[in-house]
Amino acid sequence: MPVAPLPTQAPRPATAPAAPSAGRRRLRLSLSAKQAAFGIAILLPTLAVLAIFRFLPMIEAFYLSLTAYDLVHPPKFVGLANFVSLAQDPLFLKSARVSLTYVLFSVVPVLPLSLGLAVLFNRSLFIKNVLRSAVFMPVVMPAVVMAVVWTFMYQQDGVINTLLGWLGIDPIPWLRSSSSALWAVILIGIWRATPYYMVIFLAGLQAIPADYYDAAEIDGAGDWAKFWHITLPLLKPTTLLVIVMNVIVAMKVFAVPLIMTGGGPADSTRVLPLFIYQTAFEFFDMGRAAAMSVFLFVGVMLFSFIQVRMFTRGDEQR
Amino acid sequence: MSPGAAPTASRRVPAPPPRGWARRAKRHRTVIAAFCTLVGVACITLLPFYWMFSSSLRTMENMFSIPIQWIPDPLNWQSYVLAWQAQDFTRYFLNSGFVAVAITLSNLLLCSLAGYSLTKFHFRGRGLMFILILSTMMLPLEVTMVPLFLIIKQLDWANSYQGLIVPFLVDGFGVFLMRQYMLSIPKDLIDSARIDGASELRIFWMIVLPLCKPALVALAVFTFREAWDMYIWPLIIITKDSLRTLPLGISLFMSSYGTSWDQLMAIAVLGTLPMILLFFFLQRAFIQGIAATGLKE
Repeated sequence: MPVAPLPTQAPRPATAPAAPSAGRRRLRLSLSAKQAAFGIAILLPTLAVLAIFRFLPMIEAFYLSLTAYDLVHPPKFVGLANFVSLAQDPLFLKSARVSLTYVLFSVVPVLPLSLGLAVLFNRSLFIKNVLRSAVFMPVVMPAVVMAVVWTFMYQQDGVINTLLGWLGIDPIPWLRSSSSALWAVILIGIWRATPYYMVIFLAGLQAIPADYYDAAEIDGAGDWAKFWHITLPLLKPTTLLVIVMNVIVAMKVFAVPLIMTGGGPADSTRVLPLFIYQTAFEFFDMGRAAAMSVFLFVGVMLFSFIQVRMFTRGDEQR
Repeated sequence: MSPGAAPTASRRVPAPPPRGWARRAKRHRTVIAAFCTLVGVACITLLPFYWMFSSSLRTMENMFSIPIQWIPDPLNWQSYVLAWQAQDFTRYFLNSGFVAVAITLSNLLLCSLAGYSLTKFHFRGRGLMFILILSTMMLPLEVTMVPLFLIIKQLDWANSYQGLIVPFLVDGFGVFLMRQYMLSIPKDLIDSARIDGASELRIFWMIVLPLCKPALVALAVFTFREAWDMYIWPLIIITKDSLRTLPLGISLFMSSYGTSWDQLMAIAVLGTLPMILLFFFLQRAFIQGIAATGLKE
């Protein structure tokens, strides 16, 4: 067996192989070149799909945002006209405001709620697994089903107003009033998101070594002290990540407002993705819709940069 | 209920201090408080499920009755039959199932191939490729849907299964998940298989993939759930009834039979059922896939 043991004898060839002797070197180069070719080949399908269906549309969105295009006549270059008219469009400004409100008020309560639940579940409890599955259930419900079921529950004589009645609260015209519709939609967002991020927090909590808590206990630290001085600081990366993910998900909310309210009443629930959809596929103003997409993209971008940085930070040290 | 929790809670105190009883009593209280809070939260998370199911069996006369009817009486199984026949839901179910399975299978294959490539092979630009793939995670469909629709239209894929499936054959998060998992596979294992003369494809199929089983199951469940949930994209490219997916069918049913709540809830139950089954049979994988979206290393 003259050739076979070669790869294990010398330090493994990385991209730049060390060169002991000419004959060995040629052989190893061709081997690693072959391997690299295989590595690239199996990556190609992924790259192709992402290039055509993610990056190409992204570039095209920027181009389209500079045109007027109605799907019938060819796109006409109009420069920044779409952006200028958007900046003066009260409907767009309102939609941006609605989106911002939705993001803010669906992200901020979810943080303490999901973290709190995770902390409660991170101890031994009677029928813990049953309770955890029960709390997790909202994640299982498809978004469209959620919209239908909650629309039903939000009816004037529906179950929610009945329950509120038990507490002595007058019926609320949830989806029929422009002052409450957005809050109704936000509540559902919280209902769905909290268990999702609870799972992520729980994974973060379980990664904290038990020694820390044992040591703190010996020092006489109480539950609160342990939470403030051990749990919270060590969960900082997880928390940051949850905020970023949650913001991105909240910026994309679409099915629930479309089905429940169609953006109304009085545009009070027309979030940005919904407005983009309507502009493009109900009014066929592709250029304007693309300009809104660019706007949304910048918002998502700001937060995603943080996320990707966090995803790749470990690599730099590797 | 609390006695069941008590022993485990007190066992966590390694050596009870002299006045241990005070401490234990306090622990008791916190455990009971935690338990009661969680039961309350579970009621909130389960209420819509219970209400959906019970309303699907309630007759329309009793739908908004005062006092509220918690347990439907008489039972109205008819709602399921009527709803199912009102539209071609068999077709919508099959469409959704087919699309979700196709997307899931292709993600399993392509994401693990890409993850394998990004961890066990060395070539120029590998790091850049990984960053590019990751960066697609920040391109939500809501941003790219207009041009993506134009591309699909140009390909003549509107109203087609290809149009529903091909753009989602692979996903940045899936690649990330598989890559993270494969980092832990020792390179020596692969090298020794090479020495034994196994072909690269065979190594991948016979050695690497079986080792990745937990990650694959988690990815499958995660992808299937997302695909089953997909709404905005089918809404844009599908207008033909025979190609409607279940979410489209449900929202259409809502707009045409908006006040037949019993039937609407019946369809809602049926649309949630596959996810509930998936959750109960693959609970660990279900949760692992989501926990993985919080991975940072």
